[in-house]
Amino acid sequence: KTETGDEEEKYKDLKGNKKKKSEDLKKELDLVSVAKLLFHLGLSSSRAAEILARDGPNSLTPPKATPEIVKFLKQMVGGFSILLWIGAVFSWISFGIQFAQGAESPFDNLYLGVVLALVVILTGIFAYYQEAKSTNIMASFSKMIPQQALVIRDAEKKELPAEQLVVGDIVEIKGGDRIPADIRLISAQGCKVDNSSLTGESEPQSRSCDFTHENPLETKNIAFYSTTCVEGTATGIVINTGDRTVIGRIASLASGVGNEKTPIAIEIEHFVYLVAGVAISIGVLFFIISVSMRYKILDSIIFLIGIIVANVPEGLLATVTVSLSLTAKRMAKKNCLVKNLEAVETLGSTSIICSDKTGTLTQNRMTVAHLWFDNQIYSADTSEDQTTQPFDQSSPSWTALSKIVTLCNRAEFRPGQENLPIMKRVVVGDASETALLKFAEVILGDVMSIRAQNKKVAEIPFNSTNKFQLSIHETDDPNDKRFLLVMKGAPERILERCSTIMINGKEEPLDSEKAEAFQTAYMELGGMGERVLGFCHLYLPENEFPDTYPFDTDSMNFPTSNLCFVGLLSMIDPPRSTVPDAVSKCRSAGIKVIMVTGDHPITAKAIAKSVGIISATSETVEDIAKRLNIPVEQVNRREATAAVVNGMELKDMSLQQLDDILCNHSEIVFARTSPQQKLIIVEGCQRQGAVVAVTGDGVNDSPALKKADIGIAMGIAGSDAAKNAADMVLLDDNFASIVTGVEEGRLIFDNLKKTIAYTLTKNIAELCPFLIYIIASIPMPIGTITILFIDLGTDIIPSVALAYEKAESDIMNRRPRNKKKDRLVNEQLAVYSYLQIGIIQSVGAFVTYFTVYAEQGFLPSTLLGVRVDWENNAINDFEDSYGQEWTKYQRMYLQWTGYTAFFVSITIQQVADLIIRKTRRNSIFQQGLFRNKVIWVGIFSQIGIALILSYVLMAYWFVAVPFAILIWVYDEVRKLFIRRYPGKLQERNFLISRPNDSRRTATPDANPCSLLFFYRHSSLALSQTIQSWSDKHICPVSEGSLIHGCHWLEEKPKKPGGNK
Amino acid sequence: MATLNEKKTCSERMENFRRFVWNPETKLFMGRTLINWVWISLYYLAFYVVMTGLFALSIYSLMRTVNPYEPDYQDQLKSPGVTLRPDVYGDRGLQIYYNTSENKTWERLVTTLQTFLTAYTPAAQHLNVNCTGDKYFIQDTFDGPNNTKLSCKFTSDMLQNCSGIADPTFGFPEGKPCFIIKMNRIIKFYPGNGTAPRVDCTYVGDESRPLEVDYYPVNGTFNLHYFPYYGKKAQPTYSNPLVAVKFLNITRNVELKIVCKIIGAGITFDNVHDPYEGKVEFKLKIEN
Repeated sequence: KTETGDEEEKYKDLKGNKKKKSEDLKKELDLVSVAKLLFHLGLSSSRAAEILARDGPNSLTPPKATPEIVKFLKQMVGGFSILLWIGAVFSWISFGIQFAQGAESPFDNLYLGVVLALVVILTGIFAYYQEAKSTNIMASFSKMIPQQALVIRDAEKKELPAEQLVVGDIVEIKGGDRIPADIRLISAQGCKVDNSSLTGESEPQSRSCDFTHENPLETKNIAFYSTTCVEGTATGIVINTGDRTVIGRIASLASGVGNEKTPIAIEIEHFVYLVAGVAISIGVLFFIISVSMRYKILDSIIFLIGIIVANVPEGLLATVTVSLSLTAKRMAKKNCLVKNLEAVETLGSTSIICSDKTGTLTQNRMTVAHLWFDNQIYSADTSEDQTTQPFDQSSPSWTALSKIVTLCNRAEFRPGQENLPIMKRVVVGDASETALLKFAEVILGDVMSIRAQNKKVAEIPFNSTNKFQLSIHETDDPNDKRFLLVMKGAPERILERCSTIMINGKEEPLDSEKAEAFQTAYMELGGMGERVLGFCHLYLPENEFPDTYPFDTDSMNFPTSNLCFVGLLSMIDPPRSTVPDAVSKCRSAGIKVIMVTGDHPITAKAIAKSVGIISATSETVEDIAKRLNIPVEQVNRREATAAVVNGMELKDMSLQQLDDILCNHSEIVFARTSPQQKLIIVEGCQRQGAVVAVTGDGVNDSPALKKADIGIAMGIAGSDAAKNAADMVLLDDNFASIVTGVEEGRLIFDNLKKTIAYTLTKNIAELCPFLIYIIASIPMPIGTITILFIDLGTDIIPSVALAYEKAESDIMNRRPRNKKKDRLVNEQLAVYSYLQIGIIQSVGAFVTYFTVYAEQGFLPSTLLGVRVDWENNAINDFEDSYGQEWTKYQRMYLQWTGYTAFFVSITIQQVADLIIRKTRRNSIFQQGLFRNKVIWVGIFSQIGIALILSYVLMAYWFVAVPFAILIWVYDEVRKLFIRRYPGKLQERNFLISRPNDSRRTATPDANPCSLLFFYRHSSLALSQTIQSWSDKHICPVSEGSLIHGCHWLEEKPKKPGGNK
Repeated sequence: MATLNEKKTCSERMENFRRFVWNPETKLFMGRTLINWVWISLYYLAFYVVMTGLFALSIYSLMRTVNPYEPDYQDQLKSPGVTLRPDVYGDRGLQIYYNTSENKTWERLVTTLQTFLTAYTPAAQHLNVNCTGDKYFIQDTFDGPNNTKLSCKFTSDMLQNCSGIADPTFGFPEGKPCFIIKMNRIIKFYPGNGTAPRVDCTYVGDESRPLEVDYYPVNGTFNLHYFPYYGKKAQPTYSNPLVAVKFLNITRNVELKIVCKIIGAGITFDNVHDPYEGKVEFKLKIEN
């Protein structure tokens, strides 16, 4: 309220001044014109600063950020930490009790507790640091793109950060901008805003300066903060800033909505539950066993701690974080900037990609694709880095054509780029001319000097009425005094002006047969979605047009008909050379690529065909109709695998029809679509249960990007809004980078599986000692601290090294992971690690243990049941199998040697474990032992750390080696069986294998819908989709549904058990 | 990012679990068919049988390779431990407290000594030979019965006043108690480098303060002919030589810290971690 008061005051001031100055010109001043003048002046900087100081910056108060200390504490109790805390507390309790009882060595437990607490705190600090780092990446990312507003201050237009806007500022907005504050429009030209973030209406709303409604949300003269201006321009006065804006008021409500968990977060949580469950149940079980075996409660508690420590993979969560950030870094190097670490993996489970055309699939520049001369079509090289053109350039017709292309062109290179590759040089001129210029430069060399040699004497630039461009040049042959007239333009217009046609360098009369050939070529090139230009020339006779002839372009005192037609050139925005390969990779990876473009259907289809989105053999309904020569309506739609859907058609479609298209066609192009329709398409894909990746650059793609499971914004062409809404930014706008991302995402999922399998295996070898110790009363084989040496010492680097593992050859040949079935840690993985490899490891470690004791004097038979005496401080002449006598300390020293030997043998076997985990199906020989160098770093570090941490006789290092070899051989045999008999063993679950391989190994579940789908389509992405879908929805098992494939897609409320 | 997990109600979870345990439609029990379970069990049975076999094989070959007479490595037993009889351990090591006027307090100690010495009666030692040389009793051949080596006789009467023969109370009631010091056996250990190792008892920390002690046998030596020890298999009847110490002027009603070291080359008593290596420390308090 006070603000308007201020404004009025100011306004009065100004009016007063004006009045004085223009007293005799006008008695009364038009209020509006004063206002307009005011708007030109804007606020003064000082006044703006005052208001800014009073109101605060124009930004939304961030949702109450979790205090750092709370975040830190969360890390301290999250995941496995709570288990370890329990262990630590138990240690301290038992220390307290022992200390109170005055026992001899109570400090062991105190130290154990301290070590456990340290482990938790250190891993907590690490996780906190990682989180803070990734938050910082995001923060720096959002700082990279601060929102700017065009403001009028001190009568000058200024670009200011939107944060500094204050009430009363005059701002100008244009299409693509985000509205920087709530503004009252004072002028608008065709301004439309997208209020979707505010009202949910996806249609852009037009805005003008007219007051149309009492409700501020309805009236047309207010544009709201954070909405976007889709098109047009407008000027307005800021009426609310920061939290006082409409969105600010809503934001406080919206901030309550938490982020959804990413697939990988869910997987890790699942894993933590699983392992914690195992740890607690085994711990409690053996607590009960040891109590009932009349162990002291205190001892039982210490066993419990040992079991928990053995079961919890202390280093694993840190390893996972490191692996994910390594992948994120690797992806960033390959131009995928991931904003959220966990999105790395989401990309890997993508099953549908909705991609833009321009810039993403194509190079976003016109390039000459085809030529037609001498009655023949030649293809030109359209790759990004062309340096020569391969087509036959020997014909004299080409010489003539190249001259026209060179001379009849107004485009020029910007100076000073001689060292750049031709394709990268910046050109002044329109897209077609640029294409022609570069084309000529590539073939002929220095175009500018050719133009200089053929001095231009007259020129008519292209205009839409003529549809041609013409210029007249001197020739570069000093003996030839004729002028050369060159012309290019729309082919049919050019042909009209020609009476002859050049064939093999000779002018021949243009008869109907030759005209027919021209028509065919023209149609063919046009049918490929290319922009076609015709070229002709005429040498003006020397006698009629002497040296000094005054050419006048207005009166056209020179012939413009009966010219000689030379040839056609067609241009297209060609696909990026990496895209066809990328699309075929997606296809074999079971990912459906859908093109969504605003372009013309013919061009879209041509590009789709050339990149493989529509494969060479598949036909659309229209193609079939054309081939069979029947009306489109009579074509069986099921026969067409491809579909090109026009935005106009899409508009009139029901959701069910859209589902029908998405479900029945494996190759789909949406052309002439609006950004709003993109959202509808994405939703359609998600209705089928797909994990959808969407690429987008425009402001209005942001709803679709947000809606997508993973939104991918274009780094170069993308708008800020799109980048903000996206989970990932493609720095090079290249579709192929997405495929790289998918590959990395799948790879990291696989590699995390390997890491986890590797880590879980040794848990059994760490756990068994406690169990056997309790049951068989042997001297303790391994200590709790020693376990920590393995978990946090030797095993860390190797498990990170697995993240560097290259893909097994089939990574991009399998279907995307089914997020419900393909868990990170599944039953097979856990069972195989725990009950098979883990058991072999334990046996190997125990053999080492018994060897150490036997060679030092305690044969295995002596050890059984010896625990009580062994640990008795009062026995200092404990007799071994050879009659030697040992003091307590000497026995303890031997026990520590035993720990070390056990530790060493686990380490040795973990080397074998590491090698077998490199692959999950392939033999290690197929994968190659030396491709992943980091693995070797891992192995050497493992052994090195073990050497540093321990000193035992060298002989003990080799006891476990046969078992390490056994692990490797056993796993090779398993892998061999999996490769030989896919499916069978997996069914029986003896051996883990790729669940994803069901494509090869089995048909989908015996679900009529999915079976139907499976048989009808090779599009595997969807059959997977349907499986997950049918989990949620009851699939009607009627004949009707079998005939009308997709009817089951209609949602029906689930009735429990109502499957029949 | 769009939501990826759906919330389930409790009843749905229960229903899912029930279906997991037994799915009547697919006839799956816990996710697989019964025959499948049988196969799995058989596989694991076979796997564990093989693993047990491997383990047994490893242990068997280990037992075949170890030397039955002496352990392969003795790096952990460099210097023998020393023990004391009677051995009453308190919270911080050996504590021998008794009251001369209360029979019960020392009778227990006396019984311990008597029991301990039953292994040194002539009857118990009848298989061993009398040795006279004051040199190591080195035997390269198996001269004893049943392919064993001979062991030297050590009978309790060698402990003279502390043998328990003349004084079955070992001097406890008089406040001049006998204690028996035993050195642990180590195979092929040659203590003293040719000189017989001897026991030397002093007050802890105050070695100058005289402690009146009688040692039996004389000088408190372990005769060299008891060494080396050839192990249980070679010398089944071997018994450790002993040294008895009789404390003569123990101050009453004071806790005394006494250490008895074995002095001899190759025997170390300075291991800070091990209070029983080469020496034995104990607290003695005699009340009346």
